[in-house]
Order: sequence, then structure tokens, then C-alpha cells
Amino acid sequence: MRICSRNNADDCGGVAVSPRNPLVAAALLACLMTFGCSAERVSTPGADAGRAEQLRATLASSTGGGNAGEAAASTGTGWGTLKGRFLFAGTPGEPKPLMVDKDTEICSKAGVKLVDRSLLVDPATKGLANVVVFARKASRVKETTVPATPLVFDQKQCEFLSPVFAARVGQPIDVHNSDPIGHNTNIAGTSFNQLIPAGQGTLYKADAETGMPTMVTCNIHPWMKAYAVFRKDGYVAVSAADGSFTIPDLPAGEPLEMQVWHERSSGPNGALGLDNPALKWTPKGRFQIQLTPDEVEDIGTLEVPASALGT
Amino acid sequence: MKSQSQIVSRTLVRLHSSWAVAACGVTLLMCVSGCGSTPAAWFRPNMVEATKQRLTPDQERQVSTVMLAMFGTPDAPVAPPETGLDEAKLQLAAGPVHSDIVGRKNGLYREHCAHCHGVTGDGLGPTAAFLNPYPRDYRPGVFKFKSTERSDKPTHEDLVRILHNGIPGTSMPSFALLSPPKVEALVEYVKYLSIRGETEIALMRAFFELDDEAQGKLPETREFLVDEVLTPVTEKWKSAADALIAVPEMASDLDLAASIAKGKELFYGDKANCVKCHGPTALGDGQANDYDDWNKAIVEVSKEVKSGLERAGETSTSGMDSEALAEHRGQLAWLDKFGRVLDGGDALRPRTIQPRNLRHGIYRGGRRPLDLYYRIHAGINGAPMPAAKGTVPPEEIWHIVNYVKSLPYELDGELGADRPMVAKDRF
Repeated sequence: MRICSRNNADDCGGVAVSPRNPLVAAALLACLMTFGCSAERVSTPGADAGRAEQLRATLASSTGGGNAGEAAASTGTGWGTLKGRFLFAGTPGEPKPLMVDKDTEICSKAGVKLVDRSLLVDPATKGLANVVVFARKASRVKETTVPATPLVFDQKQCEFLSPVFAARVGQPIDVHNSDPIGHNTNIAGTSFNQLIPAGQGTLYKADAETGMPTMVTCNIHPWMKAYAVFRKDGYVAVSAADGSFTIPDLPAGEPLEMQVWHERSSGPNGALGLDNPALKWTPKGRFQIQLTPDEVEDIGTLEVPASALGT
Repeated sequence: MKSQSQIVSRTLVRLHSSWAVAACGVTLLMCVSGCGSTPAAWFRPNMVEATKQRLTPDQERQVSTVMLAMFGTPDAPVAPPETGLDEAKLQLAAGPVHSDIVGRKNGLYREHCAHCHGVTGDGLGPTAAFLNPYPRDYRPGVFKFKSTERSDKPTHEDLVRILHNGIPGTSMPSFALLSPPKVEALVEYVKYLSIRGETEIALMRAFFELDDEAQGKLPETREFLVDEVLTPVTEKWKSAADALIAVPEMASDLDLAASIAKGKELFYGDKANCVKCHGPTALGDGQANDYDDWNKAIVEVSKEVKSGLERAGETSTSGMDSEALAEHRGQLAWLDKFGRVLDGGDALRPRTIQPRNLRHGIYRGGRRPLDLYYRIHAGINGAPMPAAKGTVPPEEIWHIVNYVKSLPYELDGELGADRPMVAKDRF
């Protein structure tokens, strides 16, 4: 048997598979047979077979008990307004420049450098922009007619003009392109990914709610990014540059659960979790509120720590 | 006559002694470990989605239990009536390869498909990592090559066509040699895996939507599981046949040369903008740093894990109260699990998507002009390719089709020779 030389790796490598070293080969084979050659995959508890059997019977019967998913019954009357303001409690730092490697004569016109807009903080007021707040389940809706006037969602100099926008399901959205070059607008999770020729637009109506906001991109210019949220009832707001938001005409006199989202949030699915026991704020980014009819409920300033946004 | 033991001992003596020892050792080991019973095939849960939704082990178990109740196992599939699937066809495709009681071959999916597409239809079969492009993961319910509008499901015929033709330019072969009943069985089984996978994703996402009073338990009622979760998935499959793309016929008196010229203008123009991705040479060398939806999903979660780990590395736990410390540890455990899920065989290393090289004359979704019309009209679901419908009228789509069909044979005057051009001659 050859002895493997310590300072000659090739020699060592050769030894293991050399037919002149059957014991080594056998040992290797034995090792492989014992331990296998695949890495261990993350384990997961298997199904509960007994429970599955019962469940199959439940699913097969037409009267499978329970009444999940029923709309919350309305218990209050009148309408109220919710307002508040998000402040960023930290230093946002310099926004990162985006890699603009295409159509630079348009996209970097007049030396404008496009930057990452995922954390927009007003330097004067510390207001946090583009926080989305919406009602999870509204028992009733004041304005049942969906607006017929198109909401303009425009793009210029290779940037979506609204980094985060909200619309009602069925409301026409004029997806516009104000650039002299062509774009495409791709709204994830919907049927919409269309070419938008230079200077033109096309109408889109969302046919379902998004749940949490969904990403909007341009595949031709992959640095372009925005978020869209579509709600049936229209009880949704996007915080302004100073961090303020207002949702009018919410059902009053009954408990309401609001959902809060931010692009950079470190919570699940972008849920913005805050430490706010007064509003029963949960890690899923939800808080509870009850409005008084014809009154404006101001929940004041909501401090968002840097840790909640993963900065 | 020599006894058997004498022969054996003489043979052993002739062999090199260490070889003999090795052979004995291996034989002994095989006797111990055996080479027979393999564990029963099972549907592996969608671990990327489960981890993304931060499901607890108990919640993973809830989902697995519902999935078992609704869809059975790879050896004994069950199709709820709401799916409209034919269990007899599923039986033929499911299970290990074997002959059934009337002598028909069963286990077609595992014979022909599972090594790439995986038992679960997750595109994670043993060969998957070696293929480019990766095999399709059916679970998100997204299919590229079809005759329906962008977000609609493929029709039954679309899937039959894929099995019949294969997908040129990929590892997907043609199964034209299989008898029509076998192809039918496989198509039914692919739909089954897709409906199963999409339902599983919907269930996993449903935990986030639960109210806090639910305490992390899904309602195990027919109203929730069938009406709210399963039906929205199956309805889309049922309505696929109504979502066919209406294709106006190409004008019969069309001047082909003029149409190609117009198509070329559109290809390079700002209206159809094909040039941006397929490149000025149409070699597919334009946009090259984008991902399809399957790979993008992995890229996005990988980024989340990476930035989470970076943040965790910078976080000091001194001064944290017990609640904050527990939360911090929970976050670390989640990040660690996610890292292991992504690296441990539940995901493939993401790859960017290559816009098609249109000079090859190889068209994945079919080479008929009609197929190209579908691709341009509706875009390609799951891929960055956008739809031209709405902004490019049908007659112009036909011009683009004609130009694209001419690209592999485009005459190039610059080289002075009026001969068909193929990409390799030029570049």
C-alpha cells in the first residue's frame, strides 16, 4: 500500500480511489453506505394521519360545521376619521444610489442620480413617508361607489413617480409613461405586465385585493420599483412626506383593526410592528381602534424605531 | 466432486488478501444495511413558503394534515370533487412504477417526470440542479407556454401539447411516444400537483391573515378549507378554456416583405421595445440581470435573510430585557432555519433569466406563428416578458411575429453575401 504523502494533496486524492488500495476504497464505500451522500434537509413534523382522516370526512360532507370567513357584523353607527403621523426615531443615513446601466441619456438626465427610496424621512420633521395603513375588515362602507376617474400612476426619468400607491379594486388606474423611451409595468401577483410605449398610457383595473402591498417593477429597467395596494373598501392611506396619514369615513362605534405596512419593515410580510400597548399593537403590524361618529380620532405621533425598519 | 467450501476457500487464496478482506467487509455491510425497503414517497411541504411565513412546527403540521386530508399521498392520491380531477387518471400516474391488477403500467409520473420535477412537483428532483433552465416548479400554479391570457391557467390541450412536443431548447423532452391515455394521465397528475401546491401556499399564507383570537389555528371547516382556500385555485383551472386569446387572422393578402419591415421597425422602436431585452442583435443579449418569478422569490428571501443576519451581527444583547432577548433569539433561530432551508435542498441557487436568442429559430413555446402571437400578445407568465396587448394592435403583433420568424434567416447586406445569416457566422 502506498503511503499518502502529507505535502502532496494530489497523491492523497489519488490514493482513495486507487484500485491498489482496496481497504481505503472499501472504507469509503462503507462510509457512503452508512451516512449517504445528501445533506440533511430541514425537518418538518409530518401530518397527523388520524386527524386527516376525520378532516377528510368533514370536507366531504356538505354541512361541515362552522361559519368561518363571515363578514364581521356591524355593531356601530355613523362614520369617523382616523389620523396619525409616523416619525422615524433614528438616522436614516444616505440613500444608496441605484445601478442605472441603461438608457442613461434619459434615466440620468441632467446628472440626476437615482437613489433607493425605500426609507424616505423628512429631514425637517423626521416624518416617515410611504407607510401604508388600511382597515383589515370593515363591516360597512360609506362610499360604495368606486371612483370612475382614473388614478394616474406615472413614470418619468426611469422612476415611478409614486413609490407607494393605493387604489380601490375596480378603480381605473392610468398606468402612464412620461418618458421618451418605452417601459413595461409589472404588478406582481396580478395579471398586469404590459408594455407602456413612450408618452402613452393604458388603463388597468385591479380585480382583487392584494392583501399586503405588492411590488411593481419595470423589467426593462430593473432598478425601478414601487408598491401598490388594492382594497375593495378604499379604507387605505399612504403616509405623506411628513409622515401623516388620514382615513376618513371609517365605520364608527365599533372595534376596528388596522394593518400597517412599510417596505423596509423587518416584520412578517412587511408588517410594521411597534411597541404601543395603548393601541394593542401586535407583531403582525395591527392595532385596534374605535372611532366616535363625526369625530376625528388622532392617534398622534407614532415613533418607528430604526430596528423596526431593519436599518 | 469438490465441495462448495473448498472452491470458495481456493478462490479466496488466489485473490490478493486485502481485496478479499475489503470484499468481505462490503458484503457484510450490505447484509446489515440491506438494499431493499425504501421509505414510502411523501409530499414534502413547501419549506420556503412555510419559513417565509414563519410557521411554527405545529402550524407546519396543521398544513400537512389538511394537505393529507385533501390530496392524499404520492402513492394514494385523492382529488376532492371541487378540483374536477379524475382520480382514475391520477391512479395511473401515481405511485411507484408497477403493473396494476389488469396489467396496466402505473407510476407514470415517477417513471417519466419525478427525477426532474420531483415527487411533489416542486422542480427539485435529483437531476434538477444540473439542468439549465431548472425544471418547472408546479406549486405556484404558473405556466409559461399556453394559449390563454397572461395570468390564466393553461388549457388541457396546452399541457398535452407541451408533453407531445417537449420544450425545445430545454431539457424537457417529447413524450410523443407515450399512448394518449398515458399522456392524459400525466397531464391530469401535473394539474393535481399544481392545484395541491397552490392550495398549500394559500394555506401557509392564511396564517398571517388569521385574527389574533384564532391563536395560530386554521379553521378546520369546509367553509374555510374548501370555499375560501381550495375553490379560488380550482376555479381558475376550470375557467381556463374561457380565457383563450382571441387571435385575428393574419391578412390573407399580406405582403410578407413589407410586414417583416414593419415588424423590424416595431422590434427596435419605443412602442414594442423588444430590443431592450432581446438585444440590438436579437441574440438575447439585452437585459440580462433580471429573474423569473420562481428564481426572484428565492433572491428576495435570500436578501431578507442576509440583511437580517447582518443586523443580528451588529445587535448587542446587553441591556435587553427578557422579552426583547426572547424576541432576538427567536429572530436568530428563524434566520438560521431559513438559511438551512435555502441551502439544504429546498431551493436551487437562483439564476438570472436569459432573454431568448431569436437567431436560433428555437422557440420554447412552439414554433407556429400562432405560438409566437400568443407569446407577444400576453407576454410570458412568470417571466419578465411583458404583454403587448392593449398598446400594440393585433396587426402589428403579426408584423412582429413575421419579423421574429425571419430573424434566423435574416439577409445581411453588410457582409455583401446574400445568404441566410445565422448568429454564429456573425459573432
